[in-house]
Amino acid sequence: MTTPLLTATGITKDYGATPALRGVDVRVTEGEIVAVTGPSGCGKSTLLHCLSGILRADRGSVIFRDQDIGSWSEAARSRLRRTEFGVLFQFGQMVPELTAAENVGLPLLLAGSGRREARQAALDWLDRFGVADVADQMPGAMSGGQQQRCAVARAMVTRPRVLFADEPTGALDQLNGEQVMQAIVRTVREEGTSVVLVTHEAPVAAYADREIVLRDGAVDPTGLGVAAP
Amino acid sequence: MRPATLFRLSTAGTRTDTLRTVLTGTSAALAGTVMLAAVTVAAVQGGEPLEQPDGTAWLAPGAEHYTSPLLREPGLRPGVIFGLLLLTLPVLALAGQCIRLGAPARDRRLAAIRLAGATPGQAVLIAVAETIVASILGSAAGLGIYLGLRRILHEPGPGGSLRLPTDVFPDPVPLVAALLAVPVLAGLIGLIMMRGVAVTPLGVIRRQRGRGPRPWPGLAIAVGILLFNVPVWLSDRMVLSGYVFGALMLAGAALVMVGVVVGTGWISYTAGWLLHRFGRGPVTLLAGRRMMADPWNGSRTLGALLGATVIGGAAMGYHALFVTQGRAEDRFSVLIGMPPDPEHAAFYVNATRLVLIAVGAGVAVSAAGMLVALAESVVSRRRTYAALTAAGTPGRTLAGTLLWQTLAPLVPALGLAVVSGLVLVRSLYHEVTVGGGTTETCTDPAADPDTCARTVQTDPVVTLPVPVPWEQLMLLCGGTVLTMLVVAGIGMLVLRGSTDLEEIRAV
Repeated sequence: MTTPLLTATGITKDYGATPALRGVDVRVTEGEIVAVTGPSGCGKSTLLHCLSGILRADRGSVIFRDQDIGSWSEAARSRLRRTEFGVLFQFGQMVPELTAAENVGLPLLLAGSGRREARQAALDWLDRFGVADVADQMPGAMSGGQQQRCAVARAMVTRPRVLFADEPTGALDQLNGEQVMQAIVRTVREEGTSVVLVTHEAPVAAYADREIVLRDGAVDPTGLGVAAP
Repeated sequence: MRPATLFRLSTAGTRTDTLRTVLTGTSAALAGTVMLAAVTVAAVQGGEPLEQPDGTAWLAPGAEHYTSPLLREPGLRPGVIFGLLLLTLPVLALAGQCIRLGAPARDRRLAAIRLAGATPGQAVLIAVAETIVASILGSAAGLGIYLGLRRILHEPGPGGSLRLPTDVFPDPVPLVAALLAVPVLAGLIGLIMMRGVAVTPLGVIRRQRGRGPRPWPGLAIAVGILLFNVPVWLSDRMVLSGYVFGALMLAGAALVMVGVVVGTGWISYTAGWLLHRFGRGPVTLLAGRRMMADPWNGSRTLGALLGATVIGGAAMGYHALFVTQGRAEDRFSVLIGMPPDPEHAAFYVNATRLVLIAVGAGVAVSAAGMLVALAESVVSRRRTYAALTAAGTPGRTLAGTLLWQTLAPLVPALGLAVVSGLVLVRSLYHEVTVGGGTTETCTDPAADPDTCARTVQTDPVVTLPVPVPWEQLMLLCGGTVLTMLVVAGIGMLVLRGSTDLEEIRAV
């Protein structure tokens, strides 16, 4: 059996009196793509936020490389997201005043790299996602698909061990969505990166190796998710 | 669009919209009260020197019962009016800043109104009408405050003496003009704030120019300083009416202020470019790019502050001049064997001190405007901040970016404002000369004054250089920077609240 890279056990999270997650267990192995699906409001994004350390679960543990990151400080979890994790959202993640190359190179600058080194790495990653031609353009001058590819490049530029993607194609049309997903899958396979992919779209969930279905904050034991035939 | 519809649409909105309306109204009430005070001082009569047909001189009655010479002396009352009007500028600028408060929600509302069929002009009119309506209500409240203060502060002393002109009431025309000026000016500021903003059915777009601002405002500053000097130069060569003299000086000072405020756009852009070009870390990259993307933000948010600082620099220049004048006259008195008169320059020194107090108040009100602008800027970019935080960007990086964005344009712009204000005065007076006059007297005091032999006596000359008031300038700049640091600190609290990860999911 493959050693899990990320293990969440009994994750529970409430928003005031409203329960969002009720004892969810998740295991993600090296290089595995796991889709988290389910109806709106079932707790998909909350689970992703807890797994990535954006939110701290009320109960339960999130073990990454034998360490419970749930007990870490906010600063330590931020550092983890900067180095070991990549985070990708539906929209709103590109800094509008930075060029595509600057946006992609930003995590490297935050990690202490020099400007030149960060730019070179950014150009390489933009090239891998087929958007090298927009390297010096501002996000406002790019199409939605180009922006999202740049966002993926930014999430991958630090070569994270796990990529957390929350509805990464939600703001794109079908064609652009497929192209972005193909680019993500090709790259994470090359890099050996694990992916936790939150989606409610069957074609997107179909890219995953495994699907976890959430209903009312708990894993649905039937496992009949959106990608199920 | 019918006025009732315009009123309804311009006053609709959320709690943030209500807060914006209340803040705008409060600023307008404050500005209205100060303007009415200025109009009241203008209504004070008396103290003007008059000459009787028989040649005897006397002072026109009407102002002798005021305890303050600022109200008693007719030559000083315009200065008081100017000082009060000066105070209204940052207050009106605060009202203008409030227009940006809660902008994202209002932008969505305006876009929805456009989607419902409103023209772009109507959408802008709705946005500006909200400010005008709030300002009219604020003006009315200002009138109430003014009338209330008149009653409370009317405390006649012994012999009917008064500290404030609570016994005069302005004429209806200037009174109404002052009350209307507030909404008109606030509306104009609102229109300026909406310049470059396109309200489309899909959202509100702020147009950005590809090329950065140019340094031509430096030329306006230079021309302004020259214009300020022209009346003094002309008055040595021809007779110049007081109005022309004052108008030329005022135009020069205004041009300098406009140059400084507009020039801040170029300063902001250049500072951003330098940060981007030579900065090493992510903080300078983010701050530099942000300043380059919206260089006029500095002009908009710092305008009132810089205007007050130009006047502060000039007031300090005059203060140094009057102090030096007093010293020179004291020395002259000693040289001619007279006792020094401590009242020589004290009055003018005190008057400039009052202007400096007004400048201090202006800086404080401008800081409130800055806080509104900073909070709004953070809130409008909350999704980007939240996404950066989620991706592991440390809070100190975002806080550092905010600090750079605040201070990088402020410090050089502040220096420019203070130096410009000071140069205005120093270009006219950099030294003070007292004495040097000649007196002709008959050698024989008993002889006929028309035909006697004369002795010419030359008074001693005292020339003193007017020092640059470095300490006061540092105090003004340091105090202003410190105030802005406090503002940035409060802005960081808003930033902390704006990195809530729920913002990422908000549409």
